[in-house]
Amino acid sequence: MPSENPLQDPLRFERQVPECVVVIFGANGDLTKRKLLPALYRLAYDRRLSAGFAVVGISRTPLSDLQFRDKMLEAVKQFSEDTTFDADVWKTFAEGLFYVAGDINDAGLYQRLAARLTEIESARQTGGSVMFYLSTQPSQYASAAQGLGAAGLGKGKGWRRLVVEKPFGHDIASARELSDRLHEVFDESDVYRIDHYLGKETVQNILAFRFGNGIFEPLWNRRYVNHVQITGAESIGVEGRGAYYQEAGALADMIQNHMLQVMATIAMEPSASFRATSVRDERSKLLRSIRAMTPDEIRRNSVPGQYGPARIGGQDVPGFLQEPGVSPGSQTDTYAAATFFVENWRWAGVPFYVRTGKRLPKRVTEIAIQFNPAPLAIFGEGDGDRSPNLLIVRIQPEEGISLKFLSKRPGSGMNLRPVSMDFNYGSSFGERSPSAYETLLLDAMIGDATLYTRQDMVEASWSVVEPIQNVWRETKFSFPNYDAGAWGPAAADEMLARRGHVWRKP
Amino acid sequence: MTSTVNPERVLKELAELWVSQGKSGHPEEGEPQAGVLRACTMTLVVAEEDDRDWSALGETIAALMPEHPARAILIRLTGAGDRALSDRVYSQCWMPFGQRRQICCEQVEIAVSDAGLPDLPSVVRPLAVPDLPLILWCRSPRLLGMPEFDAIGTTARKVIIDSGGNLALADVARFAARGTLLADLAWTRVTRWRETLSQLFENKQNLARIQALAEVSVQHAAHFGNSAAYLAAWISNALPNLKISIAPDPQCDSLRLALWGEGLRVEMERRQDRLVVKVNGLSRCSNLPLLNDYSLMREELGIVRRDPVFDQALARAVQLAYANS
Repeated sequence: MPSENPLQDPLRFERQVPECVVVIFGANGDLTKRKLLPALYRLAYDRRLSAGFAVVGISRTPLSDLQFRDKMLEAVKQFSEDTTFDADVWKTFAEGLFYVAGDINDAGLYQRLAARLTEIESARQTGGSVMFYLSTQPSQYASAAQGLGAAGLGKGKGWRRLVVEKPFGHDIASARELSDRLHEVFDESDVYRIDHYLGKETVQNILAFRFGNGIFEPLWNRRYVNHVQITGAESIGVEGRGAYYQEAGALADMIQNHMLQVMATIAMEPSASFRATSVRDERSKLLRSIRAMTPDEIRRNSVPGQYGPARIGGQDVPGFLQEPGVSPGSQTDTYAAATFFVENWRWAGVPFYVRTGKRLPKRVTEIAIQFNPAPLAIFGEGDGDRSPNLLIVRIQPEEGISLKFLSKRPGSGMNLRPVSMDFNYGSSFGERSPSAYETLLLDAMIGDATLYTRQDMVEASWSVVEPIQNVWRETKFSFPNYDAGAWGPAAADEMLARRGHVWRKP
Repeated sequence: MTSTVNPERVLKELAELWVSQGKSGHPEEGEPQAGVLRACTMTLVVAEEDDRDWSALGETIAALMPEHPARAILIRLTGAGDRALSDRVYSQCWMPFGQRRQICCEQVEIAVSDAGLPDLPSVVRPLAVPDLPLILWCRSPRLLGMPEFDAIGTTARKVIIDSGGNLALADVARFAARGTLLADLAWTRVTRWRETLSQLFENKQNLARIQALAEVSVQHAAHFGNSAAYLAAWISNALPNLKISIAPDPQCDSLRLALWGEGLRVEMERRQDRLVVKVNGLSRCSNLPLLNDYSLMREELGIVRRDPVFDQALARAVQLAYANS
């Protein structure tokens, strides 16, 4: 038997997905309907999935395969944002959709699942490879993994992988405990912790930009970079998820995972290769290099916030405390800002300002790298704008990169003004970018873990965030401290002002 | 219109074009920069006969620009006549959805008579954007057969032709033998077919049976003869022991492929913008519209290096064509 497919053509072919079954726990949930099924359908539409590809949905609600297919059809029609619905493609895709009802804590569920997988493997020649996707409450992750293990589903003829959504614990101890439970059934190399930010094209492009070009890397250090600002702003509130959100907060919900992963990508050392292990080693090393702050440093270098009611665009917008499901007097942070320092030779002394929040003026995620001014100011104060050089990596809504520099204003005299050189993904490459879930699902099925978070990265992130959480928990804040629609509390501006910096208004 | 083209004047007109585009933009609130953004990743030279559908060609180039922004030099081949060249310069702009600034690419159109063709390389060379690849898309089979084509072809990093019309594969092989980095859109037409077929053998059970495959049959519509030969040749290179048959079929809208052997039967057929694949009776349908020039060029412009799989398939396809004749 040949060990490799002789019909490969990597120059022209997209990466190919081997035959497999994706088992989704929480198949009736929002994530499955809004993201997972539309992403899988799009992959089928684009000929990326194998002929025998199958999905098994698992949830408590009793449903037949046909009822599940009907539900997923509605979801795909409603949530496939930029994909034409094709009834024929759907028909053959839906033939591979199956459903098993049951409670995650019930051992019988896993027996039924095992029987169903055997049937599917035989009928659709999936080769025994299965990816389990836990789209459930985080408290059920360990039970699901244990149930799979007890039923012998953690190992099989093909590969077995487990994909888990954030949060990965709520502190170091719980993250470690969760990993230990998962590792009883799955090896760490088979656990894929998904952080959908890392699936975004621009976040991946940071690696191409930094390590594919020779001209930026020499500037990428404390000698030339003055500071870095990472912003993850949302214009919406908690959107009916108040009860969940007040248990998490912005620091744990965004900074511990998305924002620190983005920071690690922007600040990591070049990896020896683009193999998953090398890239993840460097990301992990960077996260471990972030200085864990003392309580005094935390009080100076971090700011929690909570939005209050306001009028936006002529409409009354409730404050966080007025949102349904939120306890009166809740001390949950809907905004979090922190100044981090990376303790290595490249970044020593360079502040990384990270902020995230709900009900900010606009939805925007970006990284702004501000460079030091020219070493000798030969142009005077009266010679026009003296704005610093900025490199802005925009992650959403419009993915792209801008470089801002000074140029002479045309005409007599020396009058400077800033100009912006833009690279926009949408316009420079008219091709549709795959959604983050398409990218990440495909990677997991192929076995490429480069964009997934590893256990040591999760623990390193918690090491940075947990001390801040502890100090915030012990402090009574005077919330709300910013109006909905504003760029966060005044204390966050003061945090930067102490170092002579100001937040960008993206 | 003049009877000669001065590249320096064309370059000056291009520069003026950008100045006027810049002036026509509205300064953004708080952002004093101009309202257009210039984008360029290559010089794309397109040679086409004067009497062909230039508006359709213009639409194809416009569609390519967002993904492959380029300085496009369109060569209008006017045929017989005095030794004459003429030009016009313009830009093609689009406003990306949800943005306030236009993206613009520049275009130069040069009309040239057959007698003027020897002068063409000296015009194209200075108009090429420095440090970026020059791609020549020759849409005129007549030009391919003319001795002047070589001189134009040598200015290019890559030459793209389409043997899907009347060009024999042996002629394609002769062009390739000159050392040009050559692409044939008849080959590009089978990429999605090849990819789908390859995907089937990512399955270990299918891969285990691949050596048991005994025969392959490729049926094709009239104008897909060379694509069918490429597809069969590529399969034959990977699986040399297969018995191969290639035959035209008037019922076929493009291609139909079947491979079979002990324990495995694969069928692929395109029906109404969909590719239906059957593996031992299990079928899967996916999207596969009939590829137009835009889709084909979009793929080829993304590959500016040698394609060894194509080189090998071309060599084998010529052998198959010779054996069939």
